[in-house]
Amino acid sequence: MTVALWGQCVALLENELSPQQYNTWIRPLQAIMDENCLRVLSPNRFVQEYVESNFRSRINEMLGQMCDSTPPTLRFEVGSLPAANAEPEQAPRKPTSSDNQDKQSSLRSRDRSISTNPDCTFDNFVEGKSNQLARAASVQVAENPGSSYNPLFIYGGVGLGKTHLMHAIGNRIQQHNPKARVVYLHSERFVADMVKALQHNTINEFKRHYRTVDALLIDDIQFFAGKERSQEEFFHTFNALLEGQRQVILTSDRYPKEVKGLEERLKSRFGWGLTVAIEPPELETRVAILMSKAAQTKTELPHEVAFFIAKRIRSNIRELEGALRRVIANAHFTGEPITLDFAKQALRDLLALQAKQVTLENIQKTTAEYYKIRVADLLSKRRNRSIARPRQVAMSLAKELTSHSLPEIGDAFGGRDHTTVLHACKKVAELKGTDQMINEDYENLLRILTT
Amino acid sequence: MSLGQQLPLAIGLRDSATLANFLPGENAPLCHALQQDSHPFIYLWGEGGCGKSHLLQAACHREESQGGRAIWLPLGELLGHGPGLLEGMEQMDLVCIDELEQVASSSEWQQGLFHLYNRLRDSGHRLIGAGNAAPAALGLTLPDLISRLGWGPVFQVQALDDGQKAEALRLRAEGRGMSMPAEVANYLLTHGPRDMHRLFALLERIDRHSLIEQRRLTIPFVRRLLAP
Repeated sequence: MTVALWGQCVALLENELSPQQYNTWIRPLQAIMDENCLRVLSPNRFVQEYVESNFRSRINEMLGQMCDSTPPTLRFEVGSLPAANAEPEQAPRKPTSSDNQDKQSSLRSRDRSISTNPDCTFDNFVEGKSNQLARAASVQVAENPGSSYNPLFIYGGVGLGKTHLMHAIGNRIQQHNPKARVVYLHSERFVADMVKALQHNTINEFKRHYRTVDALLIDDIQFFAGKERSQEEFFHTFNALLEGQRQVILTSDRYPKEVKGLEERLKSRFGWGLTVAIEPPELETRVAILMSKAAQTKTELPHEVAFFIAKRIRSNIRELEGALRRVIANAHFTGEPITLDFAKQALRDLLALQAKQVTLENIQKTTAEYYKIRVADLLSKRRNRSIARPRQVAMSLAKELTSHSLPEIGDAFGGRDHTTVLHACKKVAELKGTDQMINEDYENLLRILTT
Repeated sequence: MSLGQQLPLAIGLRDSATLANFLPGENAPLCHALQQDSHPFIYLWGEGGCGKSHLLQAACHREESQGGRAIWLPLGELLGHGPGLLEGMEQMDLVCIDELEQVASSSEWQQGLFHLYNRLRDSGHRLIGAGNAAPAALGLTLPDLISRLGWGPVFQVQALDDGQKAEALRLRAEGRGMSMPAEVANYLLTHGPRDMHRLFALLERIDRHSLIEQRRLTIPFVRRLLAP
């Protein structure tokens, strides 16, 4: 009866409301019949309050019209039906207050989100110059948890594999000691759990839980910024774990001392163990990553296609994966094998977008900003090294990233001859091999311009 | 007498957005991807009126028809509620976030979305995002969110050409039980609005009037409705 009754209400509401209102407020609701009470379940209190204040009277009216006898009473709650059971009336959930529902659902989802992901291992982590050190340190920690480097602090830009390494350590620890309690969580989860524990008066249980694990892995600790109470609690958890020789592993987008909004005592403790960086992967590693990801999904990826994608997506591994997934999605749709032309066609919006961003003007502006000089300097006749080197770098970038001819590039750089551009390209290629600084500058600029 | 008074009750019939009533045109690979459950994350982008909101709502419709629970969140209208609105959304099997460009100036919303993204990943549930530009060009300031938006396949929603627009109009009219001759569809395209949003809104108006006046769709009839 519930399904039919609620189903009818929903069908009527779909007709009466705008698609926006229906898809946002009505579609996510679930309903369950408890004796003569129709309980309408919302994903959170915001939705519950909105639905209750905007649709209660209309739903009541509908129920009145649909039922011959006394219509059921209506109650709005936060919660959801057990996922495994699609038939609402067969599995009524015991808790009735929204608080309990909230607590229950948070506990259910927490269980899933505090374990490590078995898919992330050292075996499928592609090693390159950019992540060698971080990987070696991680293996070391995984083999000797609590005794080699504690804490292990891995930092680097987004999408470079920090979380993968973290999970790999956790998985290896559990492989060696299946009884080890390894807890992985995002810093936001730690904060949310603590707030809930305070609300439900279970803070002692919370403390005990986190202070007795064998390894605590917290991702993206920069999101602790400004959350003083959580920082304090984490500080004590951290000390307790270190004293008990339990392993702590942390990741962040930057070096501990540079994380803003974090207490000094935390920053200094984060540096007690080993701090390692992960850099953006170089071309060869990007190719290897693509080949490995393709193999994991049993996709036949020709080397030249991997090279083509890797050459164009330089920013991070996540976007590299995104591009590969786009190519695979098209291949699944058409049933065609992946060739270079196929990949170019599948990624044409992405490449067109890059091409649009990479104009000669943009290269000049970005290079000038990077070297803290003016665009006018790049275009001027000045030949001192602080200007000439950035100019050569910019010309070389223009040759690599645009389809402009050498004379066109020369023209755009203050009317220079095409041989000057050619010389610049040769010089930069040579310097990249001998001067680490120039190489880094060039790679950084490539990334900025193509992200 | 007002229009509403003349109409029978059942007139409020709406075109619910489904994948079946979306003309794929160049977007066939995207429509195919939206019918797979294998992509945990998909991002689509394109200019206004190209069909993003339709596709997101269609994805919700599909999820629900398979017994899942889904929600569509058009951020433009929801910003005022604050990012707290995203709490607990990881319970949904599918969350569709529309108009992501709207959070460019709110770091709180961006963080909220980033955390939701992580929670959905941990729960094994899916997210489809949409905006008016590719992830890196949305003007977002949280790199963590930008990179996550590009983790799954990213599709640019290609606008329909005129022939496809006429076909989409006829398809939509058919769904409403109207027969739209080709010349009427072409007339609407040359004299009516250009984007599909407004064209479909016009179609809804034409449908109402054709029911009230008991008229078939002819050029003189729609010409009169188009007159200012």
